[in-house]
Amino acid sequence: MKAKRVHGLHPDAPMFVNAAKIVRARTEELYALAPNALDESNAKALHDMRIAAKRLRYVLELTGFCFGPYGAKAARRMRELQDAIGAVHDCDVFEPRVRADIGTLRAEDARRLAAGALANGGEPAAVPRARRATYGALEALAIDQQARRAILFAQFRKRWAAIERSDFRDRLLAALEQPPTDAA
Amino acid sequence: MRSNVLSVARARPIPDLHARDSYRSVAAKVVSVRAEEVFARDGEVLAIDDIDALHDMRVATRRLRAALEIFGPCLPRRSCAAALAEIKQLADALGERRDRDVQIQWLTEYAQARSGAEKAAVLGLVWRLRDEQTTANEVLARTLAQVHESDLRGRLQKLARRADGHAAKRRRHGHGHAGARSANGQR
Repeated sequence: MKAKRVHGLHPDAPMFVNAAKIVRARTEELYALAPNALDESNAKALHDMRIAAKRLRYVLELTGFCFGPYGAKAARRMRELQDAIGAVHDCDVFEPRVRADIGTLRAEDARRLAAGALANGGEPAAVPRARRATYGALEALAIDQQARRAILFAQFRKRWAAIERSDFRDRLLAALEQPPTDAA
Repeated sequence: MRSNVLSVARARPIPDLHARDSYRSVAAKVVSVRAEEVFARDGEVLAIDDIDALHDMRVATRRLRAALEIFGPCLPRRSCAAALAEIKQLADALGERRDRDVQIQWLTEYAQARSGAEKAAVLGLVWRLRDEQTTANEVLARTLAQVHESDLRGRLQKLARRADGHAAKRRRHGHGHAGARSANGQR
């Protein structure tokens, strides 16, 4: 997901003026993605929201000094959100990896059993007991990841609800409007 | 599947940043420091038994990418785009290794709580992931060699100096705002 361009940035204008424009744009991007990402079956939308949260987090880490105490607090909130979504994303990556492993083993076994049957004539031999245990264990691991995802997704939802309850967006946008204090 | 390792390198504080300083002068300071952070553990990242060094470098590349994207309008467009593309390539190579590092660490712990055939099956997956980790490390080694060869570190410092040079020049001449540019560097 490409970040939207932020127009009207002036290299010789004060940092806080430009930073406010970038933070505002990245905040709007994040909020626009949230409704779809809260749909548990929409992994793509969640992935996009993770990227948007990451962008806002790093923008705030780099420019938070312009926006008083809420700048740093907002960066922490975004780091927590990014971590929560990242944990769900890890499951979205790992479960297919486990299933791909099962697929590879299955293909190898089918090839070996077919080769044996073709060489000896007759039916393929039974899948060895140890191999059946391997399939069972990997399937259990994939189910574990699926369950873990559901738990982590609920935690993400809870975190997002807390962010909404705390009026994150309004407080951040209000902080952007404040004249900056001089200290870094 | 977050790593259990919590010791993520904190971003180095950048002294003397002020909200009323020009965007350009802040760009020079931030890009310079964030670029150095990327190379702080350069010599350690290929060690497979210490996954923290690689993680630190990966986080540092994220911070640097963010800095180059945010401060793009203050930097020479082509040099900035070329540096960003190279950092992205480095970040991708670091990410491929990191994914395996974390999966291996997590699965090894998962296996400890299992026994018999189930444990053996999980450890079998760990071994297959180790092969992928080795391949990812080889790709990373080649990417790092390219980064050194192209002197990315030196080029990034040059970018920072150019932003700073512009800022100093404009301060000397008492100029106001330059023309507006968008975050991707276009006027």
